[in-house]
Amino acid sequence: MDLALTDQQCAFRDDVRAFLASSLSAGLRRGAALTSGVFAEPDIAREWQAILEAKGWLVYHWPTEAGGPGWTPIQRWIFEKECADAGAPVLPGMGLKLVGPVLYTFGTQTQKDQYLPHLRTGEHIWAQGFSEPGSGSDLASLRTRAVRDGDHYVVSGHKIWTTQAQYANRLFALVRTDTEVKPQQGISFLLIDMALPGVTVKPILSASGDHELNEVFLDEVRVPVSERVGEEGQGWSIAKFLLENERGGSSFAPLLLADLERLRASGGPLTGELAHRAIRLQLEAEALEMTELRTAMEIEQGAAPDPRSLITKLLASEIRQGIEALAVDAFGLAGLQLPVQRPFYGEDVPTPVESAQAQIAAARYLNARAWSIFGGTSEIQLTLIAKAALGL
Amino acid sequence: MNLALSDEQAMVRDMVRRFLADRYDATTMAKGPMPLDEWRALGELGLFALLMPEQAGGLGGGAAEVMIVSEEMGRALAISPLAESILLCGRAIVGSPAAERWGERLLQGDALLALARGGECADGKLRGSAAIVRDGMDADAIVVETAAGGLFLVDAMDSAVRRTPVRLVDGSMAAQVQFDAAEAVALTLPATQWDEAQALAGLSIVAELVGAMATLLDLTVDYVGQRRQFGKPIASFQVVQHRCARMYTWLEQSRSMLLKAALVEEEERVRTVTAAKAYVGDAALKLAEEAVQLHGGMGVTDELAVGRGLRRVLLLSRLHGGGSAAREALAA
Repeated sequence: MDLALTDQQCAFRDDVRAFLASSLSAGLRRGAALTSGVFAEPDIAREWQAILEAKGWLVYHWPTEAGGPGWTPIQRWIFEKECADAGAPVLPGMGLKLVGPVLYTFGTQTQKDQYLPHLRTGEHIWAQGFSEPGSGSDLASLRTRAVRDGDHYVVSGHKIWTTQAQYANRLFALVRTDTEVKPQQGISFLLIDMALPGVTVKPILSASGDHELNEVFLDEVRVPVSERVGEEGQGWSIAKFLLENERGGSSFAPLLLADLERLRASGGPLTGELAHRAIRLQLEAEALEMTELRTAMEIEQGAAPDPRSLITKLLASEIRQGIEALAVDAFGLAGLQLPVQRPFYGEDVPTPVESAQAQIAAARYLNARAWSIFGGTSEIQLTLIAKAALGL
Repeated sequence: MNLALSDEQAMVRDMVRRFLADRYDATTMAKGPMPLDEWRALGELGLFALLMPEQAGGLGGGAAEVMIVSEEMGRALAISPLAESILLCGRAIVGSPAAERWGERLLQGDALLALARGGECADGKLRGSAAIVRDGMDADAIVVETAAGGLFLVDAMDSAVRRTPVRLVDGSMAAQVQFDAAEAVALTLPATQWDEAQALAGLSIVAELVGAMATLLDLTVDYVGQRRQFGKPIASFQVVQHRCARMYTWLEQSRSMLLKAALVEEEERVRTVTAAKAYVGDAALKLAEEAVQLHGGMGVTDELAVGRGLRRVLLLSRLHGGGSAAREALAA
């Protein structure tokens, strides 16, 4: 038993470090540091995505057959840790982490050829059309209908909480193709060109004033049948595959630890009660890092991951919310600024009181509330844990 | 990076687990301190030798072995002097003349050493008192860490050592000790060796807590599956499921802290053990409290292992400063 990196792994880490030192510009770092939402804004994301793609590291978590670099789970972890420590932008996951793996796992050859290259170049920006106004945690109750008409589906419905849909040109969506069977069995997985007639995007402003979320209205949108991934009725199992990737696909702890460190550096020395909150968050995140590594090591050794991997999203949400709440408190009254201009690194943002980190703290705090809601609420996570880990 | 036990480590784990499973179950665990003959039997199995440095006649087992053995002891809620007598005091006497007198008997489980904190030593005479010395009544000799930070060994049978029994919350016996110019032999081990010994003892306590957490969670999951109210098992209620799931997160996060503390490089040991104590001390007590809560009225009785488990966890989580002191140290 040991936790030491092998010589090879150390060399790999040094490569990643050297790459980040030379390729991650001050502008990108600043953009990442002054991002208030979950994902980098499009300008920052586009630039960083192109740099990673040129290096061959963009789809670092994809298998070799799908065009990935063939890294082991520990290498992926090292890469994520180095990126977090260096303050790299967090790329939107809808394409790279969610629909990408679905396409190379379930897609036809035509779909792979048609979509994977554009995903990597950034020509296709994907949004996720799962939730509906009446279907949140109870996703299988979704009502968006896809009615077969020759070689097309005619799709009508209303998707909601669609992150970055205002920038997206492609939507992957769960639609109901059969109303006669059990709810889960009547669902199919469709790829929808957002330029098609009948697709309308309406913004939802968050309490922070950020525009991350949208509603997507689908009004008799004619989608070719060839844009269905998997069989008709297979949508639910594909969605489960995708949600498992969303929950457990990458490690949360490195960024939490790095952000806590950056808060300590920018918020001045934390004292008294604030210092104790920081320590508790630090300990929880340190434990989470090891919890994630334990799973990575299981996968590396070819074992099925233990149900323990289910706890990471729940805990990451709580640590994230704790860090952002601590930041607001650490900056005192200056942590209560909330300018309306976005992004925070833009030129029209008013001069921050105290520091740029103080200026962004309230927005980040508010946006972080969503962590325990998206990708399966914390209540859903607890139910899953009780079932899978404890057999309850 | 590798978390797999070696064959030898798996053998040790299985041996300790079997030994304890033969002697303890939910009806008997944590009812009282481990009897001396059982302690001796563990010594004869070579368990203590495994955990002692080679220069003390041991096999030089390291932090991983301490973790493996201690976790099993915790799993059985066994109340033993492992952390203090073997890991702390056993290492404190290495290299001193006292090692010849006590070393071999310690490895055999024939002698018991206790740790006292307090008093002061001048001209080979120890004066002062130590309030709570665990296993102080049964100890043959006492390692004393004085207020000034010196380490001394005192013979417990010395007439200048007065011991008054104090029953502790887990049912084990401690002593209130008064030293009236007791003969004290200075232990001159290097400070780093003492730091290491303290880190290993801390690790052992953390591992015991993790083992205890696993048992308390198992007992609770069993119980909520059997206990029926409103015509169905209470495990079918979501509020109960969520509370059990939360206990599971504490257990797994604690195990992660334990693994990290046991497996990091030597130079990181002290910090990671402190971090593990800070995290696990809290998590274990929360888990034990939840175990009691989910057992309902029965949980607060002396009848069930969960009630006794709570007492044991309360004690372990508070030893050597416990979680609060560890967090203070980390914040400093």
